[in-house]
Amino acid sequence: MLALADLHKRYDDVAALSGCTLQVDRGRMLGFLGPNGAGKTTAMRTIFGLVTADSGQVTWDGAPITMEQKRRFGYMPEQRGLYPKMKAHDQLTYLGRLRGMEQKEAAASADQWLERFGLAERRLDRVEVLSHGNQQRVQLAAALVHDPELLVLDEPFSGLDPIATETMADILREETVKGKAVVFSSHQLDLVEDICEEVAIINAGRIVVEGNVRRLKDAAPIRHLELELDGDIGDLFDTLEDVRQIRSADGSHTLIIDAGSDIRGFLARAQQVGRVRHFTYTSPSLSDLFREAVR
Amino acid sequence: MSSFKTVWRIAVREIREHGRSRSFLITTGFTFLAVAALIVVPGLVGDGTSEYSVGSIGDGNEPIVAAAEQLGNAAVEPGSDPSVSFELETFDDRAVAEAAMESGELDAILVDGTEVVVESVGGFGDSPVLSLLQQGAASVELEAIVSESGDAAADVIAVMTSDPLETSTLSGQEAGDESRGAVAYAGLLLLYMAVLLYGNWMLSGVTEEKSNRVVEVLLSSVRPWQLLAGKIIGIGTLGIAQFAGTITIALVAVQMSNTIELPSLDAGLVANLIVWFVLGFLLFAVMYGAAGSLVSRMEDAQNVAFPMTMVVVAGFFVSIAALSDPDGPTALIGTFVPLTAPFVVPVRAALETIPAWQYGLSVLLTSGAIVGLVFVAGRIYAGGLLRFGTRVKLRDAWRSAGA
Repeated sequence: MLALADLHKRYDDVAALSGCTLQVDRGRMLGFLGPNGAGKTTAMRTIFGLVTADSGQVTWDGAPITMEQKRRFGYMPEQRGLYPKMKAHDQLTYLGRLRGMEQKEAAASADQWLERFGLAERRLDRVEVLSHGNQQRVQLAAALVHDPELLVLDEPFSGLDPIATETMADILREETVKGKAVVFSSHQLDLVEDICEEVAIINAGRIVVEGNVRRLKDAAPIRHLELELDGDIGDLFDTLEDVRQIRSADGSHTLIIDAGSDIRGFLARAQQVGRVRHFTYTSPSLSDLFREAVR
Repeated sequence: MSSFKTVWRIAVREIREHGRSRSFLITTGFTFLAVAALIVVPGLVGDGTSEYSVGSIGDGNEPIVAAAEQLGNAAVEPGSDPSVSFELETFDDRAVAEAAMESGELDAILVDGTEVVVESVGGFGDSPVLSLLQQGAASVELEAIVSESGDAAADVIAVMTSDPLETSTLSGQEAGDESRGAVAYAGLLLLYMAVLLYGNWMLSGVTEEKSNRVVEVLLSSVRPWQLLAGKIIGIGTLGIAQFAGTITIALVAVQMSNTIELPSLDAGLVANLIVWFVLGFLLFAVMYGAAGSLVSRMEDAQNVAFPMTMVVVAGFFVSIAALSDPDGPTALIGTFVPLTAPFVVPVRAALETIPAWQYGLSVLLTSGAIVGLVFVAGRIYAGGLLRFGTRVKLRDAWRSAGA
């Protein structure tokens, strides 16, 4: 199990982490969310010692992480980086060997991953001639080539088309099922909701929401309400207590309201205003939780 | 995995990727060709006979030209081709002769055995024709004087072209060891180019890893010093291979073309060059590596390396001074300053003017400096690598690695 415990890190007058704590078990996938500059990348870098925290601890199975252990982790940095002039296959083999694999083993694994990503025919192409999406695939393969116990992926989905996103998501699911611990950051909240059972939301250097997505949604003190209505809405929303957010477009309204609001009374009042074409009242989406958490 | 294995794997990648890169193959091929050409071509051009056309106006010119030709060929062994030959062409009109010279048909014009006209004097690479004719005229005059006293003209020429004084040296060099100076100079030039060239490989190699961000992936599984060490060993190995190849080509070319006499170019001299190549490369590679870690863009790399390049250039000039005065104070100080030692000591050693204790002490000092620099530069490297964007200040890199 990966555990970050009460990490603090300051850069001059900016606090990048101020009490960041989270865990990822083997066989689990954690979606690591947060606005830009919240501390996601810094937190991920501490796992590899790329950033040394001012205080707090990073442990794997309860022990501090050694260089030997780091070689059994896979990392995909936010800023992608590969040797542009190296062939895809050579590159993956080399990175496998740097993590302790023998030549044959590393070469075989490199081929296997290139195959899995549909890049078997490009194996002898230099990385610089590959498309952006393909480079990203090679980058993920670089994190996977040595069959790591833990995968730390900083925005693995950014810049991918829907098909590539699907493949990437499938692979992450497979790796989780195989028993790996997976943590990845993302801004695509619908996607995270789709593939992660657990999320952690970081804001201003500390974890503000953490846990099982479904339970978080059920336990949230807010509800998600969508309404489409013909007619002038007037001061209808003022009759609801504790409206937290309203977004309106083209006669369609999305509201985040308190869980305890009188929803039946509100629907009745809405029907008096005009014809209600669409009305849903659900637990909040991950996006709603996120917005609430970082507000 | 042991550190040794890690460093080795990094070094092997450097050798493989760098060694088969087009730029490496081209520079290697070009260097080999250039060195071979530099040695062989002058030999080819210098071979054979230089022919001079001399215009003659009036009388008394023939004996001068004959004497000049004899003087010019005095050093030629009997039976082989003459090294100069003169052709005399008679003109009645001076203006016609001068026109012929302007159109390039004549190298000189003799007038009445008392005046010589050439196109210009004082330029670089003046034709030897003027000095040969002057000597020829002098010997004709001398001959006239001595013939009155009864000696044969041939004897005069023989006296004038006899062997110079026998030369011996206090340092015990033998005749022919003058070429040691040339060898030392050539070796120095090679060292200088090698340090700059391979130092820049280090610089761009490190900056490249930073600019394309692969360094973050690498550092998630290797330590900064391992990366630095692997790079130095890899590039150093390629450098030594290229350097040794260049020297070999040079030696072979010299052997084949016979342009330079190399009686004293022994294994010791070559070993001396190799030792100082390794020391000089290590010293500067470590510094160039650290410099490269401070910047994220290739465009900034040269700026940050400028101070080091200045040191290399300064070392080169100090050693030029050492070449002309190998026992002087400049040479002595340069011997014990690690930054200049790689340039100065091989020169002094090649000239055989450095006492063994100075040589040994200098090797020790330089090696010590390398060890110290590895520590300092290694820390700067570690601190600089993951700070992207603007150029990292030395102090910040040092501090952030210590944190």
